Amino acid sequence: MEKKLAWVVDPQNDNVATVLADEVKEDNVLSVDLGGKTVEVKMINDIPYGHKFALKPIQKGEQIIKYGTSIGRSIKEIQPGEHVHLHNIEPLRGRGDLAQK
Amino acid sequence: MSSFLGYYRSDGTVGARNYLLVLSATIYANSVVERVANSLYGAIPLTHHLGRTQTKSDIKMTFDILTRTALNPNVGAVLIIDHFKEDLCNLEDMTEAISVSGKPVEGVNIREAGGATSAVAEATRKGLYLIRKLSNQQREEAPVSSFLFGLNCGTSDTTSGLSSNPALGHCSDKVIAQGGRSILAEFPELMGAEDWLASKAKNNEVANKIYKRIKDFEKRILATGEDIRGSQPTGDNIAGGLSTIEEKSLGGAKKSGFSTIMDVVDLGETPPGEPGLYMMYTPGHGSESISAIAAAGAQALVFSTGGGHVISHPTMPTIKITGNSKSYEAMKDTVDLDLSGILAGEMTLEQAGDMIYREVLEVLSGKLTKSEILLESTGFAIHRVGLSV
Repeated sequence: MEKKLAWVVDPQNDNVATVLADEVKEDNVLSVDLGGKTVEVKMINDIPYGHKFALKPIQKGEQIIKYGTSIGRSIKEIQPGEHVHLHNIEPLRGRGDLAQK
Repeated sequence: MSSFLGYYRSDGTVGARNYLLVLSATIYANSVVERVANSLYGAIPLTHHLGRTQTKSDIKMTFDILTRTALNPNVGAVLIIDHFKEDLCNLEDMTEAISVSGKPVEGVNIREAGGATSAVAEATRKGLYLIRKLSNQQREEAPVSSFLFGLNCGTSDTTSGLSSNPALGHCSDKVIAQGGRSILAEFPELMGAEDWLASKAKNNEVANKIYKRIKDFEKRILATGEDIRGSQPTGDNIAGGLSTIEEKSLGGAKKSGFSTIMDVVDLGETPPGEPGLYMMYTPGHGSESISAIAAAGAQALVFSTGGGHVISHPTMPTIKITGNSKSYEAMKDTVDLDLSGILAGEMTLEQAGDMIYREVLEVLSGKLTKSEILLESTGFAIHRVGLSV
């Protein structure tokens, strides 16, 4: 076992990874273990501890997959290495605001 | 370890504590309750802001949570303080509901005692003799199969779903393997995790119940016409990297491990005796949720908290664990176990789960949680649905 800087729960299906380090800055290149296969992803933004970045290009409206399951959808196009959070994805559950429309 | 040392009750349940519970029938008994409990060694005050001017269904919920908290095996005797005589939340009805268990119940009505100061004197004296008797009871060996285990999380961050929650799931699986029962709750925080949970259901009927009850809660949220972002995930969740309720739910559900889900029970309802994992229909509000779990009879609960927490139920030891080393450092006065070794690559989820299991059994046998020592009691709140009328 060794400490990983980025954690992917379901390497087969997830399109986001979680950062497990404090100092992940724009232009850093992170090695991500995808179940035996390692990919390198260059960060587009500074990513705070515990926050997510995209592993692959994500189109607007595409599902965000973590734990092998949808955690919501993108509201704009997202590049690999880009911070994934409230500014570019949205939940689909418990949305009274959507239900009213 | 497959047993703990507990207090056997006359109904066959086993307590991890042997408290005198000093119980407010309504909000207006709270100050007397506090004065009485503060005067007695081993007495725990249970105060709340309800019991009056509630809708019928809410007053029943208040009554059920209060009396079932008193029925929890961690409570050895009960002293009820009432101020007048409300519907249901009164000395007579509460005494009747609690005394079926065979545990000693006494009470004082503030008005009938001649006012607040006389009531304190009368109740303190009654409490003295109840505690004297309780103190003579010894702990005896009890099997893990007599343990009802509460699972909850709060102030979650992304480390929760990756580390402390799945480790807690491993611990829950160990309890169940020995004939115990666990409770997974917080239904709005399971929205998005239905498929994974239903895949663990005992049969199709239970799987359908899981989908239906989570949907029920979602409908209640949708009926508000509001976007729940900001409330779910909460501000602390969002700061910790959780972006959506679905992401929070999938991480939260992991604390239930891989055991079979036997059934879904209502808020505060005791699961049937068959070993296994049960789901309870509680809200995401941490204190309301763990209070419902305590009302069902759970003797201890593990609260997984990525961000760190103070929460502790007054009579159900609330063991707090975190997978985030910074949160442990910031909140170590009230967080019991640091599991940050999981993400640091220093321990496996199974090793962390074993560590939680050992801690749980020690706490059941009398080891105090940090929050118990500090007399934290922020973990008691009663769920309500309707208006004050």
